[in-house]
Order: sequence, then C-alpha cells, then structure tokens
Amino acid sequence: MASRFFRQRSVVEEAAQEVFLKAYTQLGSFEGRGSLEGWLTRIATNTCLNMVRSSKRRPELTVSDLTEDEQSWMDQHSAGDGAEQASVENSLVAADLADRLLALLPPEDQQALLMIDGEDASIKEVAEATGWSESKVKVRAFRARKKLREAMEKLLDHRGKTESR
Amino acid sequence: MKEKHITEILDNAAITSLSELELTEIRVHTKDCVSCRDAYEAAQLSAVILRSRAQVTIEPSPFFQTRVMAALREQQAVESVPAMWRLWKSAKVLVSSMAVTTAALAALSFVLPATSTPVDQPVSAFSAESVIMGQGSDELTYEQVMSTIYAEEDEAGK
Repeated sequence: MASRFFRQRSVVEEAAQEVFLKAYTQLGSFEGRGSLEGWLTRIATNTCLNMVRSSKRRPELTVSDLTEDEQSWMDQHSAGDGAEQASVENSLVAADLADRLLALLPPEDQQALLMIDGEDASIKEVAEATGWSESKVKVRAFRARKKLREAMEKLLDHRGKTESR
Repeated sequence: MKEKHITEILDNAAITSLSELELTEIRVHTKDCVSCRDAYEAAQLSAVILRSRAQVTIEPSPFFQTRVMAALREQQAVESVPAMWRLWKSAKVLVSSMAVTTAALAALSFVLPATSTPVDQPVSAFSAESVIMGQGSDELTYEQVMSTIYAEEDEAGK
C-alpha cells in the first residue's frame, strides 16, 4: 500500500512502521464489523495521504523537467514503435514518469487513479479502502484522469514542437 | 464535426475498461478530429505509465521487522507503565541514596548510643586534688628524680 504512494524504500518503511504502530494502538477501536484487512488498508491509506499532503505539489511539468530516459521513452511510445517492448528498465522509466505526473495531482486523486487505472480496482474497492463514498471516488478518478491526460498532452505537444524545429 | 468529442469517454473510465463499442466510437472519431486524437494518444500513454507505476513493489529491508517490533515494544512499555512508576524509574537513584543516608543518620542518632557499653571509658588517673594542684600521682617530684639519679651514680661509683 505504501509503495503506491512512495518510491523511496526508507519513506515506504517509515510509512509502514507508522501504520503498524497506529494499528497496534487503535486495535481496541476495531469493532470487527468489516475485515481486518480493510481496516488496516484504511489506516494505511490515511497515513500515507497525510504524509503525501505534507510534501509540496509541483504546479506544472514541462519537457525540460524530464530526464533523457523519460523523453526517449515518450518518443518510443508515442510513435507507436516499441510500445509492446516492455522491459524492466522501460517500466521503471515509465513509473518514474508516472510519479512526476502524479505529483501534479492532489494525493487523494493520485490514490483513486492509481488504484482504478493502475491496479484495476473497482470503484467499490477504492471506496472501501479509503472510506470515501463511491460518488466521491468517481469524481476524484474522473478529475485525476482528465488532469493526467491533459498534462501528458502538453508534454506530447511540447515534444512535437521541439522536434519540428 | 458531426460526432461528439470523445474526451469525456476517455476521462470517465480507465482506457483498459472501455467497451468495444466505445473503442470503435473513439477510433472513428479520431480519424477526423486531431485534438481528440492527441487526447486519445495521451490517454493511452497515461494508462501505460499508471500500469508501470502500479507494478512497482518495494521489498522491505531485512531489518524492517526488527525495527518495527522494537518500536512496538517501546510504545507498549511506555503505555503499560503507570505514571508513578515512570517517575520512580527516573528518580530511583536519588530517592534510594536519600533513604540510605536518612537510615544511616537515624542509626547513628538512636541505635548506637543505646548499645554502646560504658566499660571502655577510662578511669581518670588523677585525683581532683592533684588536678587542682596541677600534679598527677604518677608524676615524680623534683626530689625523687634527683635522689634516683644520685643513687644510680653512687652505685656506679662503688
């Protein structure tokens, strides 16, 4: 769960440790109505969201912010050649790019989008994991998807302009 | 443009979960609409990077479990110990030393005088009269000293 929000192992471990400590201290408040897994997931989600909220969000991402690897990944995939050639290295570059673009979104939107579009979770599953209503999940996912697509479009547009020069 | 733009379809659901009908609608529309074609391409790339991001898993370090257990034990210890006990733990050295000192002083003040025997007290070798006169009974007079010296000289002369 924590690796959904963070990439650095130390930060992931810090989040996981906080989740375990919270779960331990709040175990008495677990009423047993839902599953223990769901209860833990909710604690983890809230803990991670709080940690993400405390870090600053980037206002915008431009092509110049991208690394060479990320730019060449975009070249490959937008041209349609090699889109199927998924190597571990390529996946990591793509994951890095995703992190950069997701950083433009509010943490709640990131969470909803990653679960639904990245992990094929249903709206209901996200609602259970986060404690949000299903309509809230839908709105967040819609907004996040739109914003991510627009940010990606901007990057593609910038890249197209720089290539045509 | 006759058809409705397809951006809403793209934003409504994950691209991988779109129905065949929706995908056909998108393909037909993007043949003529450049902006929607760009949007579709961006949506496809977004889906790819999100999938790649979701596949990232981070294995915990070998010491992670130990660290968490230590943190849990620490928290458990703090919570289970009452406030007075915590106060005692921090001040026990000071309090113990104070108690020992007090006990020692009490023993010196009350117990030792009662148990000490008067046998050891020395009896004065001087009478009140000799003390007043500034003379002890074991002190020799001038005459005694002189007579002793002369007596020894006489014996040596003989």
